[in-house]
Amino acid sequence: MARLVLLFNDQVIREYPFVKQSMTIGREAENDIQIDNLAVSGFHARIDKTGESFILTDLQSTNGTFVGDKKIVSHKLSHSEKINIGKHVILFLASEKEDGVLPGSEKEGGLDKTMILDTAKQRELLAKQESAAPRVAKPKKIGVLTFLDGSKEGEIELTKKLTRIGKAGNSEVKLSGLFMGATSATISKRPSGYAISFAGGMTKLKINGDVVKNSVQLNDFDTIELGSYRFQFYQKDLG
Amino acid sequence: MQTDRIRASGITDVGLKREENEDSFSLDDDLGLYVVADGMGGHLAGEVASRIAVDLVNKSFRKWKESETSDLDLYGYKDPSLTDPGNHILSSIRLANRVVFEMATENNECHGMGTTIVALAVMPDLIIAANVGDSRIYLVRGGEIERLSKDHTVVAEQVEMGIMTEEEAHHSPLNHILTRNLGANKDVRAEVFEIEPAPNDRYILCTDGVSDLILDEEIKRIVEEGDGPETLCRSFIDEVLKRGGHDNATVVSVYLPDIEQKKQGILRKMGGLVADMLAGIQKARKNIRP
Repeated sequence: MARLVLLFNDQVIREYPFVKQSMTIGREAENDIQIDNLAVSGFHARIDKTGESFILTDLQSTNGTFVGDKKIVSHKLSHSEKINIGKHVILFLASEKEDGVLPGSEKEGGLDKTMILDTAKQRELLAKQESAAPRVAKPKKIGVLTFLDGSKEGEIELTKKLTRIGKAGNSEVKLSGLFMGATSATISKRPSGYAISFAGGMTKLKINGDVVKNSVQLNDFDTIELGSYRFQFYQKDLG
Repeated sequence: MQTDRIRASGITDVGLKREENEDSFSLDDDLGLYVVADGMGGHLAGEVASRIAVDLVNKSFRKWKESETSDLDLYGYKDPSLTDPGNHILSSIRLANRVVFEMATENNECHGMGTTIVALAVMPDLIIAANVGDSRIYLVRGGEIERLSKDHTVVAEQVEMGIMTEEEAHHSPLNHILTRNLGANKDVRAEVFEIEPAPNDRYILCTDGVSDLILDEEIKRIVEEGDGPETLCRSFIDEVLKRGGHDNATVVSVYLPDIEQKKQGILRKMGGLVADMLAGIQKARKNIRP
């Protein structure tokens, strides 16, 4: 079994056997390794056991996590490596059975192979990580269409993955007009953000005045025109 | 060559370093469903997991499509942000997860087995792309490449949270550690995206054995230079083997028909002119109003 040894001024304070899937290090009492020192963040770092390897991840701590003198974001631990957090040192000791992590003996099929983390624990940790990193965490956003012109008023939140705009009854945004397509355009939420596509009908789709025949990415405050209708697109913070 | 129907093809290859091929895929042009899965877990478990997942998603989606009821007989809750077919893909993946999970917990020899999955459903007016894990779906449309899947890996989630940059992620030792797969938990949340199809769309589904070695921009180039879907899949696998083939590699390509030409009748053009004129008049009238 692997072990972690907490040291302060070269004095052993405590030894922790690595019995769980992952262990957290931080100032708060809920941590597996609690270090009551102001230089240490509430949830400072964690170590995950994945297969035969141990991965150290800095949880976006204020003062950083170091292995030796190198600041790390995530790091695969090797036997007898020292983790520096504030003035404390945590020594990592791999067990004999986990020879794969001994220095210089990169075992074949180690991290190259796809593995799954203990997901329940991972969720929890990632959630903590998110709260530990409020400076950089991106707020969840939702796209909104505001009518600028035309017979309708107000705002429409794009709550669906695919929003259809057109004359058809099943359209999320229903517009009238002799030449309006049943589905004239669609807005879809994709991994890279919102994109608008021309779908059909004789009414042209224009974004910021340019005719779009295919699809384009939508940016905040783009103007969308369909016949006599004009909207503005932007994303607002959720909650 | 252009035709008016969907053309699809798929190849899986064991690669140069592995003994077994744990990837599975399926093509069903009638159903419009294309699935790729990358299994994990020792012995034959990975292969079993990916095969079962692919089969179950096909079966359950087919059952819904052929039942001709408008009832939403879903496994699990309904996601209000998705269409009915989107919800059925989601439900099919949940069901497959449950079966793989039960097998993994009940049989000793299946312990630890799991699989990723990507599914693409093509309907006349809707494309559904769903994934769990790090297998991917790409769309090449109008000279651009775009991912229609989200990697469920530690690094991808850290990039999204802003903790890690893309550059750091690329070199991270955690690249292959999944945060979600089929089989690890009782329930699973799949990523589902819905878009409108466009003529000549080309969709590529692949496992990480391909996307590890070929970057997005290169994938785009290969797709654009590719001929039919069969030759395209072959070019991908050849390229993977040339670059070391460290893992099983599977690629499925789906080409949508070029239906645009049919629409481009003279009537449509005339109609377009009239529509432009009317829109102009409407606008002018609005501007005159006080």
